[in-house]
Amino acid sequence: MRIIAIITFLGVLCTTTYSYGNTAMYARASNRIIIKGGAPLKYARKIGRDTVAKAKKDTTTSDSAIVVTASFKNAIATRLQSFTNNVDPDKLTSYPAVSLQQYLKGQAAGVYVNESTGEPGTVQNMFIHGTSQPLLSAREAYSTQPLVILDGVELVADHPFGFDIQQYKQNEIGPATNTLAFVNMANIESMQVLKGLEGTGIYGPKAANGVILLTSKGASKKRRITFDSYAGVATPQSVTTINGQFESNFRKQFYNKYTATGSFSNLDSYPLFLSDSLNNAFYGPSNWNDLYYGSQAIFGVNASISGGDERANFNFQLGDTKSGGVADKTALTRYNARFLLNMKPLNWFTFSAMVTANQLLRDGNKNVRDRLEQINYLPDLSTPLAPNKDVYSDYLSQFTKGFDKNKTNLFAGYVKAAIDLGNFKFVTSYNVDYNEGYRDIFYPRTLLQTTNYASDYFGYNIRTAVNNLATYDYKLNDDNKFNFSLGNTFEYDTYRYTYDYAYKGSTDFIKINLLNSDPNNVNYLTSQVFQSQLIYKFLDKTKNTQVAFYGKADYSFKDKYSLSAMLRADASSNQQPTNRWFYSPIFSAGWDLKKEFFAEKNDVSALKLQASAGRMGRYENFDNYAQGPQYTAFIGYAGNLITPGYSGLSTMTRPYTAGYVPYGLKWAYTDQASLGLDAEVLNKRLYLSLNGYYKHDKNMLLGIPSAAEYGYTSVIQNGMAVRNTGLDAVISGVILPSENKFSWRSSLNVNLNHNVLTALPGGLQQVAIGDKLLKVGSAVDSYWLLTNQGIYNTDAEVPVAGGKTMAYNGITLKTGDPKWKDINGDNEITNADKTLQGHALPTVSGGWSNDFAYKKWSLNLDFYYNLGRKVLNQEMANRFDFYNLDGANNISSVKEIFYWEKRGDYSKYPIYNPASSVDPYQVNQDLFLENASFIKLRTVSLGYDLTESLKKKIPSLHRFYIYASVNNVFTLTKYTGPDPELVDYTGYDNGYGMQIPRTYLVGVKLDF
Amino acid sequence: MKKIILLSLIFFTLVADSCKKALNVTPTRVVNETNTWNTIEDARAAIMGVYGLTRSALAENNGHWIYGDVRMGNFASPNRQDLKAVISNNLNAEYPVLNELSNWRRFYAIINAANIFMERIHEIKEKDARYTANNMTVDLAQVKFLRAFAYFYMIRIWGDVPFITSSREGTFENQPRSDQGALLNYVQTQMEEAATDMPYEYSRNDLQQPGLYYSRGNWSGILIKKLGAYAILAQVAAWEGKYTDVIRYTQKVLSEYTTRDDLSLTGTNTLTASNGFFYNNTSGGNDNQLFAFGFGWNDQEAAFTGNIESLALAAPVVNKNIPDIYVPKDSILSIFKEPGDGRFNVDTSGVTHSDALNAPNVKGYFTNFLGKYPIFAKIKCIMGGGIDNSFRLFSSAIVLTRLEDVYLLRAEAYAVLGENDLAIADLNTVRQERYNVDDHGLSQNDYVAYSAGSSGPLVDAIFRERQKEFMGEGDHWYDKIRMEKIKQSNPQFLQLISSGGIYWPISRDILAQNPLLTQNSYWK
Repeated sequence: MRIIAIITFLGVLCTTTYSYGNTAMYARASNRIIIKGGAPLKYARKIGRDTVAKAKKDTTTSDSAIVVTASFKNAIATRLQSFTNNVDPDKLTSYPAVSLQQYLKGQAAGVYVNESTGEPGTVQNMFIHGTSQPLLSAREAYSTQPLVILDGVELVADHPFGFDIQQYKQNEIGPATNTLAFVNMANIESMQVLKGLEGTGIYGPKAANGVILLTSKGASKKRRITFDSYAGVATPQSVTTINGQFESNFRKQFYNKYTATGSFSNLDSYPLFLSDSLNNAFYGPSNWNDLYYGSQAIFGVNASISGGDERANFNFQLGDTKSGGVADKTALTRYNARFLLNMKPLNWFTFSAMVTANQLLRDGNKNVRDRLEQINYLPDLSTPLAPNKDVYSDYLSQFTKGFDKNKTNLFAGYVKAAIDLGNFKFVTSYNVDYNEGYRDIFYPRTLLQTTNYASDYFGYNIRTAVNNLATYDYKLNDDNKFNFSLGNTFEYDTYRYTYDYAYKGSTDFIKINLLNSDPNNVNYLTSQVFQSQLIYKFLDKTKNTQVAFYGKADYSFKDKYSLSAMLRADASSNQQPTNRWFYSPIFSAGWDLKKEFFAEKNDVSALKLQASAGRMGRYENFDNYAQGPQYTAFIGYAGNLITPGYSGLSTMTRPYTAGYVPYGLKWAYTDQASLGLDAEVLNKRLYLSLNGYYKHDKNMLLGIPSAAEYGYTSVIQNGMAVRNTGLDAVISGVILPSENKFSWRSSLNVNLNHNVLTALPGGLQQVAIGDKLLKVGSAVDSYWLLTNQGIYNTDAEVPVAGGKTMAYNGITLKTGDPKWKDINGDNEITNADKTLQGHALPTVSGGWSNDFAYKKWSLNLDFYYNLGRKVLNQEMANRFDFYNLDGANNISSVKEIFYWEKRGDYSKYPIYNPASSVDPYQVNQDLFLENASFIKLRTVSLGYDLTESLKKKIPSLHRFYIYASVNNVFTLTKYTGPDPELVDYTGYDNGYGMQIPRTYLVGVKLDF
Repeated sequence: MKKIILLSLIFFTLVADSCKKALNVTPTRVVNETNTWNTIEDARAAIMGVYGLTRSALAENNGHWIYGDVRMGNFASPNRQDLKAVISNNLNAEYPVLNELSNWRRFYAIINAANIFMERIHEIKEKDARYTANNMTVDLAQVKFLRAFAYFYMIRIWGDVPFITSSREGTFENQPRSDQGALLNYVQTQMEEAATDMPYEYSRNDLQQPGLYYSRGNWSGILIKKLGAYAILAQVAAWEGKYTDVIRYTQKVLSEYTTRDDLSLTGTNTLTASNGFFYNNTSGGNDNQLFAFGFGWNDQEAAFTGNIESLALAAPVVNKNIPDIYVPKDSILSIFKEPGDGRFNVDTSGVTHSDALNAPNVKGYFTNFLGKYPIFAKIKCIMGGGIDNSFRLFSSAIVLTRLEDVYLLRAEAYAVLGENDLAIADLNTVRQERYNVDDHGLSQNDYVAYSAGSSGPLVDAIFRERQKEFMGEGDHWYDKIRMEKIKQSNPQFLQLISSGGIYWPISRDILAQNPLLTQNSYWK
């Protein structure tokens, strides 16, 4: 016994690996238990098509001879988790999603997915139990994403460090493709969302925002072939177009109201594109939409084969998916391949290896903004794209002279070996996740005022991990059972890119940076077509290492009471050497009330209570904080961030614009607690799960704007704390049971979340950062807005106090200025009169699913809803602020082709004097704040199960299921803009969100 | 059993050691304290950093020109509402650029970098034998000068500013604003000290800087040198109204610029050529930029913004429809009304012969004079100094002073002190380079000297000359203030001066951070 303990210890140390890794094993184990435990209601979704459920079971696990992880099911730990964590992948396949985020939307209580555009394959964010940080930029959005684990491999995402060289930070350089768009749901056996520390604890600090656990379908000892396919069409919704006449009429009302002469001053010039009403390009028919919007074919094909015997078996899978956007001919094409091999050379030794390779090819949008941001150069913007089809098609045809190749390759794999000596088990695994992105662009001269542009990007992210885990089951007697685990992890992350771009090639026919290749010539390796001064080259890399050790003990008494305690030690190279390690405990407990009180009662099939509390470190993703006071080579300024040096010499200065990094920065951590109840009653007809949570992320870093007189924009400090509390609830009911010819089951999931900032560094009570106010006691996703109460129609209406007329930041208010509420009563409108209003993330969100079945028919209706969310309608603010934006030749004055689409409700807004220097149409006022709550019918799917009728002819058939579905059927909302969902995490609707398409598709699922 | 324990202890040590190694990842994106202030290369990177920060502070949001040229100046803006607000001195208007320009942080970055340099440079002296005592003296002189210059620049914009002379690493205490009079004295003393230690030229075996400076032969137009420092000192003294000091400093420059340094006045054609005075040539030849910050084309420092070109140029010089700022026709005609001026002239029939692009002989400041927006094209270093109008990447240097400035400052001082003949002599020295064309724009050997009849009273003539000469170089606003102070004849403007309306408001962001600060009274 003692020897075994020591071996365990040594084993752990020798291999110097970590991991509670093998999370996949864990997950698979727990799922199997649930299935065998008598199909709890979460699986009752499949009522009405029970055969499907059975068929699925057949093909997946029940006959798997070798599953490395099978030996690791830990009954006690499983008991500590709620069923609500599980999402049914089989059902999700009828939605033509391409990204994990899309699949998860509305499926799991407590997971909020932000799909800000319908353009396929773009980056999407998700938040489990609210956001733990104010979302100021892509950095924070990155730091609040959950960890995604595929078969034990912790997936690595694109690091936002590429933004550092970008003047415009809408899309990161490179492919900017969603790295989770490779997940092929047809190939996933189970998907679990781990929200609390009882589940995420073993994955360590990178899992502080929650975990999404994906388990692929395994191998089997019988030969199995599966085939799934769907084909359909994505269709746009109709839009109303406008032309120059409309815009001119709109603007005329301002001129009529505020000017006598038709111009605000003698320097004004009415924009050229509107001044000539005979110009057919702008004043003629506005029919650009025929070219911009269009239906696209979409399809998915997926096939797998598995087989083998009891000693060795395998699974091989191939897939091809195409997803299309409904505008700008955007598309994503995906190729998947996966191979899994299990071997059991000895009765106590198993070996398993998996590799998956995927390719994503993305055709992005042709937005002017995105292109100019990529080019990093603004041409004259005074004339926008014309709404006329002929002119627009001419513009589009220029793209065919260039290219924009966007390719991402994603590989993940593991090698695992396990020793099973009965009570003692040991698993070691080596995991790799590698993503590489390529983007090659050439824009011809005709697209940019006779200047062409070429760029090349190659970047990769790689995460390698070694995990060791030893467990020992100890059964004192039938009543007292123990499980001890000891594990460690070494995990290495590297992110690197090389990037270059060049302007003004001498010809449009050579689209790449061709170099002179004669080594004997003096011009060897110089560019043939681009001037060396106009070729900009970049190279960047960031690395970090994580080490973890942990121990865990589980105990159960009479299978009624379960207790678990865990202790972790985590270290990261991204923490300062003096504070490198973080130690944290996690405790959880479970009580099976069914066994305690209702053991004899059959109508209560499950009733259990779980609780957990603990602390875990939050992983720091940026390597600079580990260095303390530091120097950078950055010497640029707004508009020219990439200045390489001074007079050709490199420079070294403090990071004045990034913020001062002091010594003594510490780990941020999260304190979490949860209390959950799962009940299955009324003969399994009602299932209820409630999970209250408390998540308090503390001691987080925040750059506090200060030390301006020392040159810094901010000083990085520990001490920000954000608390999210809330409730996840799932209620499912079998309204008409499956014994009837007609059955109906309904399931509602809901998350209520309350977000509050509880502390700021240095005991500050509030701090303004840009447009945002962070105030202790308020939510971090609130908007900071002026309250608009109308318009001053005359100078006399402006209040006067003490002989002084009310002013806005020192500018006296006049006729045609907005009537802003003077909250603090000082007769002056300043930032002090702004209040925090609304939330950019929903306070209530979830989904509602209905399954109907009649004989072999099944019908599913899936709803998705967000409540308590508000959006600032930036697009309308920009429309009305035409006077300022037209004059400024900057990125916010870019007009897209969909500028000629009528959106929003123009009548909502007063006609202010657009030339007023108080910026009457500034977006940060409640005039533009709108209720963005909505409910969508996301999927209607109708299926028919042909298995039984065909089984007579084809005995080997396990399943033959055909279905048809319509997705994104309708949206109910009060929002006046296009779609309240199409807004990113900041909550500012800039109008760039592309329609999420309505898709019609038919599909088939075949298993032999 | 014991063996096992022993073995496990050994393993544990090994593991612990490898952990430590694994966790020490040397970053490739930043440099920490251990890896800097060690070698002569670190010293070079640090001092170039101070220069680079100064250049960025001036260039950001085109601040140097918006502060100096656009504010109540010669220019008008067709479409940019924020610039219109600056032109009408409506500086608290709600525009992002105005808010950025009212933030002094980027100047304090220069000061902080300079403070750190002065505090830490001795470490390199101690560690790296290649770093000589002379190198350190010369470095310190430049850094001290740049710090004083940052204060001078800020005082002109905000008046009283906080006085900070140490990096105060990690304990950044808020400071209130200090009296600008005392600060200007400090600036003057510091600059004088710095000027004393500076060589006339770098890497030219100057007595005060023997040998190659940082192993580089050509530093032309890149670093501050002795006469440049004295020229800026003359600006400081003039701003303070200490005109005897102005004479002292200018005398130094004007008596030594041909003997100790290799400088000359700039002809009109060189001034306006796209590869002329404002263009930074890698092979040198920028000595006449007495104190300037270059954007070297061959060093890939040319920029889309941070230069007068991005504001003033438009079609036909570059492919932009409407300029951000332009000088209206009437203003041009009233400013350049003296005959014989190569920068702008118009014959009796109303035809201009000084077109900046197409004049056959002497190319002047403006082009497209007959269009709706005359284009101010005096400075037009487009990319590598060519005339390619298809790409708006510019490489002109920010020039803070040049010989013409020094001559005119001395003329101003003489005029104020009543030495009119001397003043006229200096004024004529400059006029010699400019008023040397006939009314068809052809070069003449003679020039039109100053006469009260055609050029007006002496002080007016000197400032009018400055207005023409330094148009687009960020000087006009400060010249205007000095002129009004001297003339005391414009009650409205004097009211603006006395009420602090000549300063910029302090950014709300800054006021929110530091409760010891108060807003400039005019902008409250």
